[in-house]
Amino acid sequence: MSVQDLTNAIISGINAGGEQFLEGTLAAALPIIWLAILGLHLGRPYILDMIDRFTLRLGADLLWLVYIALRDLLIVSGVVMSFMFFFPDVVTTDELPLTGALAAAALFGVLLVKLMGDPDTNLRDFQLVSGLLALGAALYFIPYVVGVQGNAITVGTMATISSFLVTNSNPNWAVGIGYVATALFAIMGAVATVYVLRTGGRAEVEETTSTRKGA
Amino acid sequence: MKPDDIATAITQALIQGGSQWLVSTIVAFIPALWTMTLMLHLGRPYVLRTLRRCGLRLGADVWWMSYLLMRDAVLLITFALGWIFFSPNIVANAALPITGPLATLCLLLALAVKLARRVDDDATAYRVATVFLVLGATLYYGPQVFAIEATSQAYLSGFGQIFTSNTNVTAALVIMWISLAGVAIVAGWLFVRLMISANRSMARRIASRQTQPPTREPAVTVP
Repeated sequence: MSVQDLTNAIISGINAGGEQFLEGTLAAALPIIWLAILGLHLGRPYILDMIDRFTLRLGADLLWLVYIALRDLLIVSGVVMSFMFFFPDVVTTDELPLTGALAAAALFGVLLVKLMGDPDTNLRDFQLVSGLLALGAALYFIPYVVGVQGNAITVGTMATISSFLVTNSNPNWAVGIGYVATALFAIMGAVATVYVLRTGGRAEVEETTSTRKGA
Repeated sequence: MKPDDIATAITQALIQGGSQWLVSTIVAFIPALWTMTLMLHLGRPYVLRTLRRCGLRLGADVWWMSYLLMRDAVLLITFALGWIFFSPNIVANAALPITGPLATLCLLLALAVKLARRVDDDATAYRVATVFLVLGATLYYGPQVFAIEATSQAYLSGFGQIFTSNTNVTAALVIMWISLAGVAIVAGWLFVRLMISANRSMARRIASRQTQPPTREPAVTVP
């Protein structure tokens, strides 16, 4: 083996190891992000209850704004970090939850409802957001716990199910689900873009119907 | 192989491998930044709705200021990191999306719209910036997902061959130079605009100072 061969071997080791370390760190952080998102969403009544106890309007405003900023930034971070589920090479190489891409699509759906609706005042929108979060969490945590974290201890039928739920032991399904989620993302992204183009960045769509004079 | 040879190999590997790892980390980070940029830009109606609910002006100001700072800083950082697509050596040797330079040009055009027009007051300017951002994101995501990150998929190999910079070097470099020319034109236009605007505002200030009567010194009264 020449010096150049050794150099090349170390370079590819550093690159491959670094990439897998980065993806592994993201994969390890995602369950924490999901739990924090769920905790903050489910903790809404507690925050509202606390806001009622404030004697100063400034404190109440700041608490509400910090809560909303934290909650929504975590959802945005969750979507951004889930981007690796859309890369076929990553899902076929790494051990990831099989339906992680669909969970990311559900999280993006939450953002779309927040953009087009008003889940903080409208009950229907709030229920929709809660439903999408519950669906996303189920799609993430079931394959994560049963598949990624449980494939070493399961036996028999459970072992088959466990290996089915992990992306690198079920690459065809993983890539297919990734494409479905990519299509969902593209459709929802297009809907968000059209909505924003219609509103021109304002809080609501402009009224196009004119009021009759003297009505 | 002597110990010195191994030391040389490790040193070279750390230098070359470290630089390649840095480039690949930046490339891996750009999709995340593009997504953040898009979400923060498209999320403006939601931020405005939340703003309306603030009872006090202070809370509303803090909220709006944080949103603006984050949105525009992410946009600028994405453009800065996107500069990697304008390095000919990296474009020719690393696997990058072939339309990455065009995406970065679109990002600069969105920034230019923000600098030239009041995007937060003018709905048309906001729409133009949105179109540039969505176009740029599409040009970036398409080759990134279906070419760079899909080398394991045999049926996408043709697409991958065309849209990966180091397997289609000639086209990649042509796209890069055209985009770089576009960046130079936009940056030049921004520079000229800035100079004209600065000259105008400073000349106005100097003129108003010259037309004002000189202020008299207050008379000192001796008791």
